[in-house]
Amino acid sequence: MLARIAQELFWLGRDLARAEHTARMLDGVFHADVAGDPSDQGIALGWEGVLAIIGARAPAPGRKSDRGGEDGHSGVAREPPPRATGPLGRSEVARLLTLDPGTPASVVSCVARARERARTLRDVISTEMWEALNTFHLSLAGLDMETALIAGPYSAYQEVKERCALFWGLVDRTMLRDESRSFLEAGGRIEAGDMVLRMLRVAVPPEPETGGHQGGALALLHAVGGFQAYRRAVRSAPTVGPVARFLLYDGAYPGSVASSVDALHTALSTADAQPRSSPPVLRLGRLIADLELQRRAPDAAGGLDETLAHVQAELERVDRDIDDRYFAMALAVAVHV
Amino acid sequence: MDELIATPPIAGYRVPAGCCDELLEDDGRPRPHAAPLMATLTRLGPEALAAAGHRRDTIFMQQGITFEVAGTDGERRDRAWPLDLVPRVLPADEWTGIKRGLAQRIRALNAFVDDVYHAHEIVRAGIVPWSLIVSRPSFARPVHGVRPPGGVYCHVSGCDLVRGGDGRWRVLEDNVRTPSGISYVLENRLAMTRLLPELFAGHRVRAVNHYPSLLLDALQSVAPAAEVEPTVVVWTPGSFNAAYFEHAFLARQMGVELVEAGDLVVRDAVCYMRTTAGLQRVHTIYRRLDDDFIDPLEFRPDSMLGVPGLVRAYRAGTVAIANAIGTGVADDKAVYHFVPEMIRFYLAEEPILDNVPTYLLTDQTIRKHVLGRLGELVVKPTSESGGKGVFIGPHASAQERSRQAELIEQAPERFIAQELVHLSTVPTETEDGRLVPRHVDLRPFAVFGEEIRIVPGGLTRVALREGSMIVNSSQGGGSKDTWVLDDGSSTELATGTPTAHRPPRLPDIRYGGWHGQEQQQQQTHGRPAGGGPTAAKD
Repeated sequence: MLARIAQELFWLGRDLARAEHTARMLDGVFHADVAGDPSDQGIALGWEGVLAIIGARAPAPGRKSDRGGEDGHSGVAREPPPRATGPLGRSEVARLLTLDPGTPASVVSCVARARERARTLRDVISTEMWEALNTFHLSLAGLDMETALIAGPYSAYQEVKERCALFWGLVDRTMLRDESRSFLEAGGRIEAGDMVLRMLRVAVPPEPETGGHQGGALALLHAVGGFQAYRRAVRSAPTVGPVARFLLYDGAYPGSVASSVDALHTALSTADAQPRSSPPVLRLGRLIADLELQRRAPDAAGGLDETLAHVQAELERVDRDIDDRYFAMALAVAVHV
Repeated sequence: MDELIATPPIAGYRVPAGCCDELLEDDGRPRPHAAPLMATLTRLGPEALAAAGHRRDTIFMQQGITFEVAGTDGERRDRAWPLDLVPRVLPADEWTGIKRGLAQRIRALNAFVDDVYHAHEIVRAGIVPWSLIVSRPSFARPVHGVRPPGGVYCHVSGCDLVRGGDGRWRVLEDNVRTPSGISYVLENRLAMTRLLPELFAGHRVRAVNHYPSLLLDALQSVAPAAEVEPTVVVWTPGSFNAAYFEHAFLARQMGVELVEAGDLVVRDAVCYMRTTAGLQRVHTIYRRLDDDFIDPLEFRPDSMLGVPGLVRAYRAGTVAIANAIGTGVADDKAVYHFVPEMIRFYLAEEPILDNVPTYLLTDQTIRKHVLGRLGELVVKPTSESGGKGVFIGPHASAQERSRQAELIEQAPERFIAQELVHLSTVPTETEDGRLVPRHVDLRPFAVFGEEIRIVPGGLTRVALREGSMIVNSSQGGGSKDTWVLDDGSSTELATGTPTAHRPPRLPDIRYGGWHGQEQQQQQTHGRPAGGGPTAAKD
């Protein structure tokens, strides 16, 4: 297939996975923020954490520009503004990252990009998929953030989760199991894995066993959407250590990093004509083995945060490998897209 | 003072005579701890409240959080769980008092149950008559001499508290069998954060969502010694039970199996559940059905809901049952009268929370006195629950009064009389979003494993009809989210205060995703023609 098309499909998957995870995360953090008790003040998954995860700029554009105007395109949250001027709260961050079309990281921007890509892929994806995505885009455009914030953004996040589930369900039901679908899924899975890793890296304190606190771990589970799965799979109380291991290693949970890496590997092996000599596939194979080894012998590797950093760095290399192997031919064109 | 409350939605708010309001002073000004809440409510106005009410009904119907009520035509139908949108707010110091009082009471009740089935010390001391204890329907002969692990009987309890016109808290009823309502505490809080997050601004409200963890810890800690991690199950009488939603909720939140009688089997005095992999040992059963039904060999032989041989396993100590068998003797309404004495007897402490003044009717002179004042008192049958058969003097007709007097004369031991408590009120929304005073009670939930833990707040039930003091949800009652404010001296969590933790700087990885396209383009410009694998950027 065309390299350009493959790349578009890959990014379509990523945009949608990003939208869904952002919505889930904001929902989880929002709830923890409103309902949490002060012993949760130390939880890392606060609003500043969210900005760090998303890689958005700290202050809202057009506001507090005295502080954030020169913020480069680093993709990393700047040092949080000093406490004296008030911490970033739910009203600012939720507004910024949910329905603000001016913020590229917002849910609505992700969906808009996904829909633009889908428009150019009408011949590859099924009509039902396109319609689902277009309806999604239109329904978000119809939501009013001011109302949503007063009413509680829950319904907006619910809408995003449902529409994403609908889209992936239609992929399953209506899209040919060919190379294009593999790239679409690869994009979705690499983004999902990366989002969970980012959340873990921000939320897990350097010494999870000592700093383990239930409030923060619960927020983390809710932010990924894995609370019930955790409760059924793991018998111990949801403290940071077990929760982090669950989200990282548990292959039975579809939202875990291990599951995403596994699915990414499968998708690429299917798409690649010669998977045995494909750098991303080989690298993923090694990453899967690494994860399995660390799961079984947690003491072998360093601390949890070291493992997280390692896995994320590997995923990044995989992403570049994918670019080099499959999309390199499209890059020259991409400038004009 | 009326001009202070002349803004909607509290216009025309009148606290009923003889009652105290939880959020407003007598002159209509908000109490200091509720001031931010009342300010937000005033700002939102009736329209926003009414709109939130509609969203609430929709969300509850979608989530299946419903309650069965009998319509006027007698037909039973589902309606959305009646959550009132105005929370009830308790300041931290007030809650601390309630919490201590409850913990004290539960320790005494637990000691009483132990005593009843072992040494009978309180009987020998002449405080509680043995004849009263053995005549309770919930007295369980089969467990005489059985002491569960840790000596804990009342693992889960929910006492009903009320606040009278003098502002003091009193215990109206104990419940140490299978108190229900905790699922609604958690669902109410979740719904409030989704429906009206703005109300929380200006308050720090203590979290409640750790209840399932507390319960699971307690249930695991009372399990008989096992070499593997103990298996805990929730035992429901079945999906037709009115509280089935709660049973499923707790099982789901704890991640344990929800079993019915057919799933459990006792072999050689050990309890197992039937799984796809054969029989699996069960260590702790959190049962949500009455003693009468749990084992047809020992209790009611016609019970279809029971597990034959379960009491044998319990006596053998191979399985823990929560709450323990026979705890019902401690929350009988005739025994309630003696609880303050129990606290003094077992703990050598003065009760922190008082009883509502109660009269046992077996004494001739007291009975005569009560019959003379029947028009002012409340009469309750001793061994009923759920507000069944309760007679409220001031609301009764002359005919009902004489009938009740007759019943009391026939069987005085079956009734108790209590002073009427003028339940406190809390502002409550009407359909059109206005706020009116309605009467409330409070049911906090305590978990007793290695120690007694009480979830901040509890279930506030509210009588939605004007002037009514019947808060039972089966009789037109609703519920409120209950906030316990935090003053920074939280002692709720034994775990150390987590150190403040700054988010680390994430590495500047290329796929921040959202700027993917731009970055691809930037990267393209930076790449050598042909796009070789020179990924060494940054």
